Amino acid sequence: MDQFLQQLVNGLTIGSLYALIAVGYTVVYGIVQLINFAHGEIFMIGAFGALSTYLILFQGQTSLWVLPFLVLGAMAASVGVAVLTERVAYRPLRGAGRLAPLITAIGISVFLQEFVRLFYDKVPGLDFPSAKQKIPFPQIEVVTGPAIELGPVTIQRAAVFTIGCLIMCGAALWWFINRTRTGRGMQAVSQDPDTAKLMGINVDRVIVVAFAVGAALAAIAGVAQGLLNTNINFKMGFIAGLKAFTAAVLGGIGNVWGAILGGLVLGVLETLAVQFLPGGSPWKDVWAFALLILVLVFRPQGLLGAKVVDRA
Amino acid sequence: MHKRSVISAGALLLATSMTLTACGTRGGDSGGGSEGGGDSGDKVAKIGVIAPLSGDLSALGKGIENSVDLAIKQANEEGGIEGWTLEIAPEDDQANPDVGKNAASKLAGDKDVVGVVGTLNSSVAGTVAPVLDTAKIVQVSPANTGVSLTKGEDAENPSRPYANYFRTCTTDAVQGPFAARYLYEEAGIKKVATIHDKKAYGQGLVESFTEEFEKLGGEIVAAETINPDDDKYDAVVTSVKAKKPDAVYYGGEYPQAGPLSQQMKAQGLKVPLMGGDGIFSPEFIKLAGKTSNGDLATSIGAPTEKLESAQAFVDAYEGGGYSDDYEAYGAQSYDAANAIIEALKVSLKDAETAEDARQATIDAMADVTFDGATGKVAFDEFGDTTTRVLTAYEVKDGEWTDVNTEEFK
Amino acid sequence: MSTITSSSTTTGRERLGLRLALAGGALLLVSGLLSWSFEPIFGDISIRLWPVSLQVFAMLIGLTAVALALSPTVLRRALGWVHAGPGLWALGIGATAYTALSLAAIAVEAGGLINANEGAWIALVGALLLLGGGWMVRDRPRAPEAFSAQGPATVEIVTIVAICALALAAAAYALGRDDAWVFVLFLLTLGVIGTALARAEVFEWLGGAAGRHQHVLTLGAFAAAFLFPFTQDGSEINMSIATLVLIFAATAIGLNIVVGLAGLLDLGYIAFLGAGAYVGAIFSGSVSSSIGWTPPFLVTALMGGLFAALLGLIVGSPTLRVSGDYLAIVTLAFGEIFRLAMFNLDGNNGPDLTNGPNGITAIPNLSILGFDFGESHTIAGVELSRAANYYLFMLFITALIVLIFARLNNSRIGRGWVAIREDERAAEAMGVNVFGLKLLAFAGGAFLAGVAGTVKAHYDTSVTPDQYQFLESAFLLAAVVLGGMGTIAGVILGAVVLKLMPEKLRFFSEYRLLLFGLLLVIMMRFRPEGLVANKRRQLELHDDDQDRAAQTDRSPQTKEALQ
Repeated sequence: MDQFLQQLVNGLTIGSLYALIAVGYTVVYGIVQLINFAHGEIFMIGAFGALSTYLILFQGQTSLWVLPFLVLGAMAASVGVAVLTERVAYRPLRGAGRLAPLITAIGISVFLQEFVRLFYDKVPGLDFPSAKQKIPFPQIEVVTGPAIELGPVTIQRAAVFTIGCLIMCGAALWWFINRTRTGRGMQAVSQDPDTAKLMGINVDRVIVVAFAVGAALAAIAGVAQGLLNTNINFKMGFIAGLKAFTAAVLGGIGNVWGAILGGLVLGVLETLAVQFLPGGSPWKDVWAFALLILVLVFRPQGLLGAKVVDRA
Repeated sequence: MHKRSVISAGALLLATSMTLTACGTRGGDSGGGSEGGGDSGDKVAKIGVIAPLSGDLSALGKGIENSVDLAIKQANEEGGIEGWTLEIAPEDDQANPDVGKNAASKLAGDKDVVGVVGTLNSSVAGTVAPVLDTAKIVQVSPANTGVSLTKGEDAENPSRPYANYFRTCTTDAVQGPFAARYLYEEAGIKKVATIHDKKAYGQGLVESFTEEFEKLGGEIVAAETINPDDDKYDAVVTSVKAKKPDAVYYGGEYPQAGPLSQQMKAQGLKVPLMGGDGIFSPEFIKLAGKTSNGDLATSIGAPTEKLESAQAFVDAYEGGGYSDDYEAYGAQSYDAANAIIEALKVSLKDAETAEDARQATIDAMADVTFDGATGKVAFDEFGDTTTRVLTAYEVKDGEWTDVNTEEFK
Repeated sequence: MSTITSSSTTTGRERLGLRLALAGGALLLVSGLLSWSFEPIFGDISIRLWPVSLQVFAMLIGLTAVALALSPTVLRRALGWVHAGPGLWALGIGATAYTALSLAAIAVEAGGLINANEGAWIALVGALLLLGGGWMVRDRPRAPEAFSAQGPATVEIVTIVAICALALAAAAYALGRDDAWVFVLFLLTLGVIGTALARAEVFEWLGGAAGRHQHVLTLGAFAAAFLFPFTQDGSEINMSIATLVLIFAATAIGLNIVVGLAGLLDLGYIAFLGAGAYVGAIFSGSVSSSIGWTPPFLVTALMGGLFAALLGLIVGSPTLRVSGDYLAIVTLAFGEIFRLAMFNLDGNNGPDLTNGPNGITAIPNLSILGFDFGESHTIAGVELSRAANYYLFMLFITALIVLIFARLNNSRIGRGWVAIREDERAAEAMGVNVFGLKLLAFAGGAFLAGVAGTVKAHYDTSVTPDQYQFLESAFLLAAVVLGGMGTIAGVILGAVVLKLMPEKLRFFSEYRLLLFGLLLVIMMRFRPEGLVANKRRQLELHDDDQDRAAQTDRSPQTKEALQ
């Protein structure tokens, strides 16, 4: 039982990360029906953005007030790259079928990984470490340090931060989607882009906003992962991205709340599977991907049901 | 009509292509001819290096490459082998068996290559050694600890699989038990959990550790594995923690061991993590963070900084202007390169071309003995080093500090 | 396709342009006989009247320019059908790029532009003249009705054979280049001449000729590929590169059935190659395999193919319910599951079958009917190394795969696949068995990959899970996309480009993946149909019924496959 509780906490922590990234898949899919395969890389770039901010401005600092700046730096990097890829690579392909954007997304994914790997330590004028190996992530007081012991369960401080971020982002997202003009515009476009256009909604702008919102949440996840694992690397986006996509599908792709629920469910199932199924931790990803296939085959609309009908 | 045109077409094709390629060959020959020949008129013999020069383990790989480079430079300066200039031919294996195999094929195809220092990983050596063996190129590894590379798959009846393969480091068969004895006898730890990364190196280390530790009377309370591609080991740490071990023995390398140590401690499993030479790197401490104090590692040979014989190497390395540290295998690589150079002194003397000297170099290796940076360098009938000195290190105040050096018996 | 039927009156401006281009081409020809550098680099380009490497390439470009520039006038009889204007324009751009890059190469290798001798500068002047001339004639209309120009059968056959031989010679020459600059400049030369000829619509004529003599072309291409090892004089490295390219190409052709014909995006295809390789390795008698039984290789190959096909059926079965990009993700997830399963079946985390991350090593060489693939054999006085043995065997398998592909493509099944690709619902309404055909595509493609995998296992001598990661699937997909979906020639071209380039260009290997990612993005943006586009759509648009009938009768796919 103790182990069950502990694994539940572990699962919710990792699930919160998946959920934060999954939102990006789901909002973009809901609006342009594009699986933004490169979204995992946006998450990775967020982590590197935070690290760069730290190395440039706060080297050696460990106080809590640094954290908001790291998050801002991460968001700037992620949102910048996400919007740029949308503008340069995806927009020209709009209406070109589904194969071309997906292959483009794979290309962008490989490109971004390699770009960070090859050139992170070559930024002129800055002494960044080489991204060819794992890079230690800055440790910030309060959110890292000795774990909190709650009876039999140990909770890492960074895990509290991660779950807290998810709750705050969820609330902010709810407000944004339901209470702002842009958010309601997004809803309209995802339900019927043509009519939305006729109603005077700038579809291009809505799409950019969707990419930006997803990237911002992924950036927060990047910082959280850095704090949790205490190191980051250029490959971290690939598997995380696939898992987050699984989460988005699990919850019902196109449905923001589904993505959050899907992330948490996936995280918990994954950790419990490692604990209670034979084979141990190296099978973790197999269970996650098997779940993805099962969901896609037997319940493509996901747990909460996709709000958007698949127009394929 | 078709049939006839096909036949005539075939004949024509054959004729044309032969003429065309004949032209190509001449161009190629004249291209190759102008390349050779330095200023001194010396013939060139190359010593290859196969190591991970990029990727997670590049810190170790760069240390190997630079140390070999140093040995070669010194040999050339001292006028090492008359009529010959030695050169280094580094190849990246990315710690991947397939990339390593291609690198080996490349070196085997280079007629100037007479010896290879490498590889770092035992798994890579598994694909590199057969290629080099076929080409009769001597291979000396500074870091492979996999037992089967010299003794074959069957531990009961050892038989040497590759006649060209030698190593300057001791094997898992020694390193694992050494760690077991240290934990049980010196540190007084009786309950250990093992974790490994499923690769030849990690698994071999854990197996030999387990055998010795249980023989001593200790108890293995949990045996787990991780996928080295993962970043997060929460699930494993949780199940290990439930078994309440007094130490964790990890078979694998620092890119995983560092984060594992850190995550263990963050999850409240505050016991030392011990590993083999694969985690003995400053990078481990960087990744494991402040909580790594008390973690342990074993490594081959006596501590390089403390060994008198190694001092000359350390000084020369630091004076060589290399941007990377010599790391865990610097001294062994330096010795490996010098062992090849010693053998070349015998084999190149009468050789017309570097290629002719390949087999003779392998033959000469068996008789090589000299005092290297890590102590006396010599090989037994399997190609293993005859020196079996090991050292245990502990992280103290963010640095590896040696705690015990011993000849393993 | 618009065929402009205006008369071929030549304006004064065009006449000037042609003359300029002619002068430029002549200068390039002459420059090859002059000294290019004061340093004896690149096979010694400093000697006059002895053209090597860069000088020869310049002469080849010059020759093409002269032929194109003279085609409307002096050579009107033989080459009047050539669309000289756009061809010269493309050639001008390419020649300028070539000479500029050559000067850069000389500057880098010899230490400064000062080391470039008169030949290189004259070549640059020639290239610039060609550029100017090309610009003037770039809008020149094509000659009337040239497209269907038909030469005597012998001329056409000789041309086809010569082209096969040229391709063979070019491949042998390119592989022999150790100098990265020479290699790049040679590829650039081929690219420039190829593009210019394509612009000049020479390939249209060739397509016609190839269609008329399809058997000659197929046989010629395979004969050229078959003769390739005999040109290598026992060079193990070049042959091993060639073998890698062949294995990759054979797998990519299998993927092409799934993606190119049936339009089902598969992102986990490498798993089928892996399945075959693991079957091949486990039943190979390797010491690290846990199964001692070693059946004859042909049985193993069949088992590998069938096992892969079985997996193909399993992966394909969700296609009943999911489609489009959902399917892509299912296949990707499947590919990862395969890799992780192979990673874990090592006795630590599951049954001991695959030896986990260490893989199955020391796989013995193939031995079929007493022919040992590991030994060198001397045939016709030429030593055939181990890699050459595998090369020839893979060539045989590739030929089978090409044959199967061509037959399938041109059958009821192939048309069914294309129908599904174009519009699934319409196809179903027309009575096409959509689900069955999709499954067949998956299983068939997987079978071919599985067979290739069993050979790969023996050739590589080791099988590890890392060889079958997602990136490799992406590479296969890139070969299909780059070359052209649904065409064999395209896929082979894509495979050659993706596998050969990194092997020959060492300095480039670090940036290999970066450029690969960029390439995918750029291709999708500017030429999503690939370098060699599928002719079927073009044929569908072509309104010359007679021509269409003639071409479709002769299986357009194999025809374009080999041009």
